[in-house]
Amino acid sequence: MDTIINYVDNMFASLPKSTEMRQLRDELLANMEEKYHELKLAGKTDNEAIGIVISEFGNIDEIIEEFGISQEDVVTQPLLTEQEVDEYLQVSKKSGQRIGIGAVLCIFGSAMFVLLLGLFENGYMNGLSMETGMYIGVILLLLCVATAVGLFIYSGMKLDKYKFISLKGNFDLPIDLKSKIKTMKDAYQPTFTTIMIVGVVLIILSPAVLLTMITFNEHLANFGVFIMLAIVSVAVYLFVYFGNMYAAYDKLLKDNSQQTKEKDEDRVIGAVASIIWPLAVIFFLISGFVYGQWYINWIVFPITGLLFAMFSGAYSILVRKAE
Amino acid sequence: MISSDVIRGYNDTIILYLLLEKESYGYEISKRIKELSNGKYVIKETTLYSAFNRLLKKGYIESFHNEQTFGKKRTYYRITESGLLYYHEKCREWELTKEVINQFIREDYL
Repeated sequence: MDTIINYVDNMFASLPKSTEMRQLRDELLANMEEKYHELKLAGKTDNEAIGIVISEFGNIDEIIEEFGISQEDVVTQPLLTEQEVDEYLQVSKKSGQRIGIGAVLCIFGSAMFVLLLGLFENGYMNGLSMETGMYIGVILLLLCVATAVGLFIYSGMKLDKYKFISLKGNFDLPIDLKSKIKTMKDAYQPTFTTIMIVGVVLIILSPAVLLTMITFNEHLANFGVFIMLAIVSVAVYLFVYFGNMYAAYDKLLKDNSQQTKEKDEDRVIGAVASIIWPLAVIFFLISGFVYGQWYINWIVFPITGLLFAMFSGAYSILVRKAE
Repeated sequence: MISSDVIRGYNDTIILYLLLEKESYGYEISKRIKELSNGKYVIKETTLYSAFNRLLKKGYIESFHNEQTFGKKRTYYRITESGLLYYHEKCREWELTKEVINQFIREDYL
């Protein structure tokens, strides 16, 4: 019976999603189901019954003509194949890893910077001046940021091929594939929730490491900051990687109306991200070089991270409410 | 087995005839067509529902919902007054068609 349902759904996939078409589909399906059961009762095998029922379905063009569906209304959205879905999920996974590593590199670069300063301040680098340490730190930070930008651009290019899924939503899914993805997403849900909780807990607890180290020895402040930023970067990676995976399932399952909303949402959050993070780095460098605030200005990264998380969360909720 | 192209103009007549017997729904009608034609004509689902839509729009039939024994909601159809008139007209049209076409059919070729 599933074969018949799939067949009818594929036939109706290109037609407008109106109530009229929905009712017609249900009506046709009810007829075909009844026919199928009678054929089975008459002693036909499953395959024979399905074959007869499908061969007597007819031509969907008749419906298009008779119900006055104009050519513009006929949505010729490509049906995704299982292979395409697998590829899209693979690419999303890879790009989630790359973007995650990029974000980690940005934070890690600043963490290295703070660590180097700490090493110099405490005289572990004998023979080298503080200034040299600063230069090495900046070079390291810039290298990290450059690699990160490279990774961002590369994953952007890789994902470009799937713009019709991730941005435009110009696709339809065969019903069996849709339910398969839904099962996958449901199976993924608990992992996703756990990971998000772990990430939030990590971020909230990360200052505790710093405070503990300062309590023991004030000179350890820089190492505390290093560890704290390292923990934050782990949390950020988890958010980016698992969040990206979850979004990929979401995008495959979204119906069209939600897709348009989601598209704008992505754009706004992306735009804000590309402004807020470079701003944070600029703030970090200026406050350090001009005002010499290296001991405290790293705090800009966790704060930016939290503000950004709050913003994207609040924005998504507001957009959904506005529907 | 008759081809759907040949019979196209007469689907309306066939459906109206069956609705004249009693009000009915999609599958029952297509089953009756198969039975009465001794399996020589099987109407396609899409053809049947295109015809329903056409007849509904012209006001020759009307639809209503009916609970079936198994609790499934089906759309039922019944013939209207103007549908009856149209059916009469189609019957006369067929008489004429038959008469005309028969003039061009050689008995010895049958």
